Amino acid sequence: MNAWTSYQLQDFIPFTAEVYFRLLERMGETFWPLHLLTLALGAATLALALRHSTRLACLLPSPVWAFVAVTFFFQRYAELNWAGGYVGYAFICQAVLLVVMTLTGWGIDKRPSHTSPPVVIGMTITLFGLIVMPLMAPMSGGSWYQAEVFGIHADPTAVTTLGLVLIMLRGLALWIAAIIPALWLVVSGLTLQALDSTGGAVLFAVLAIALVGLVWGSKR
Amino acid sequence: MSHPIKYRITRRQSLKLMGATLAAMMLPSVPLLANTGGIHRKTFAGSDKKLPVIGMGTWRTFNVGSDPKLLNARTEVVKAFFELGGGLIDSSPMYGSAPDVMGYALQELGTPESLFSAEKVWSPAGGAAREQVAELKERWKVEHFDLVQVHNLTDWREHLAALQEMKAEGIIRHVGITTSHGRRHSEIEQIMTSEDIDFVQLTYNITHREAENRLLPLADERGIGVIANRPYDGGSLIKNLKRRNAPLPEWANAECGCDTWADFLLKFIVSHPAITCAVPATTQVEHMRENMRAGHTPMPSPDARQRMADYIESL
Repeated sequence: MNAWTSYQLQDFIPFTAEVYFRLLERMGETFWPLHLLTLALGAATLALALRHSTRLACLLPSPVWAFVAVTFFFQRYAELNWAGGYVGYAFICQAVLLVVMTLTGWGIDKRPSHTSPPVVIGMTITLFGLIVMPLMAPMSGGSWYQAEVFGIHADPTAVTTLGLVLIMLRGLALWIAAIIPALWLVVSGLTLQALDSTGGAVLFAVLAIALVGLVWGSKR
Repeated sequence: MSHPIKYRITRRQSLKLMGATLAAMMLPSVPLLANTGGIHRKTFAGSDKKLPVIGMGTWRTFNVGSDPKLLNARTEVVKAFFELGGGLIDSSPMYGSAPDVMGYALQELGTPESLFSAEKVWSPAGGAAREQVAELKERWKVEHFDLVQVHNLTDWREHLAALQEMKAEGIIRHVGITTSHGRRHSEIEQIMTSEDIDFVQLTYNITHREAENRLLPLADERGIGVIANRPYDGGSLIKNLKRRNAPLPEWANAECGCDTWADFLLKFIVSHPAITCAVPATTQVEHMRENMRAGHTPMPSPDARQRMADYIESL
């Protein structure tokens, strides 16, 4: 038997759905009402980006990525999955990258047009991450503590940031800033799929739409 | 206060009673235990000890991190396991927080004498075998491990040599190797032939019977204990049967004492003469009860085992 072909997706997920969704719930329980602040930060970032203060807007999600790296990945997810620490470092890298882009102005679109396709796609994805994603768990019978929120949980943080970079950045910088959020969404989508959750399909749909925006947005 | 003796037993009556007792002792025990027998136990690796044929796995199910609610829920599962006569618990540093969760449960419940602690060394966890074993003992909160295995043959030469040294020093009691999903069977066979190991852990269930060809006869011949992992094929086997509403065959109870699919699937595994025990994993006390019931006698005969395999094939 070929050793590699015998592996299935489930073989790489070392926890059950119950444990993973409890982890998300525990994040909600532990940090409430910080959710209100992180959501306000997300909304402020979107508003600043659309009002052409893109450099400042690029900086705002940076502490959120560092916060999720520490509280979600290093302190909790890494207990369940030895690879969790490495993902935490990737989230720290994204935080640093956003700071570097703010300081250098590399790839920043100073006057994003509200009607250009990548900006429209970016706005849609950002609003989805900020408003729709937190409602998905409570609307499907879960508790409010299970609501996944930008700045607290990894998935809405990655989705919202993917939308924001589509608004704020162009060219190669856009692709670079999108790599870590997109890779996490692939990992998370596959994880949810292995746990028999429909959430995986949602993340893959967001990724597919974002890819259209990325291709469009890379043309300066 | 005195109790006057009302009836005296005569010498003749005593002799009759003794004769009847001796006759009862000579009767075959298995039919009398049918359906109500205790958990079946098997000797292993030249030891005088016997292990209950149903053990407990911890892959995925016991990796709950530091969540107090889930830690307590898993402790209840461990409690039920020991109350129902369980012995071997198998874990690995690859299973995330599972060794810590075992430590939590054992601290809460106390460490029962029946515990047969089975761990693994796994290269990606970092550190030499000796360091890993020392760290795992602290995580389990146990004095020693009964068995330490080389997980999935990672760097098996170095690890096995170190484990043999530790066995000679009395730090661990038995050594073994593991594989799963039918991987690297020829290498496993080579190690079973050339190395002095006590246990081999491999995937064996009613739909994955490759081990019957060479590895199980070899284990039998060399007196190596065999732990069967993935008895429900990662849960998919029992899920598919239940989803299809597949009925248990009518003869299942009469021929092998099976009342549930858990009985059917687990009894098939542990009734193989070379298998020492199976290690189903669960998160629920009720499923643990089902699993443990499957370890009770009677066990299917070789003919009944063939019939069981044919039935699953036909579904």
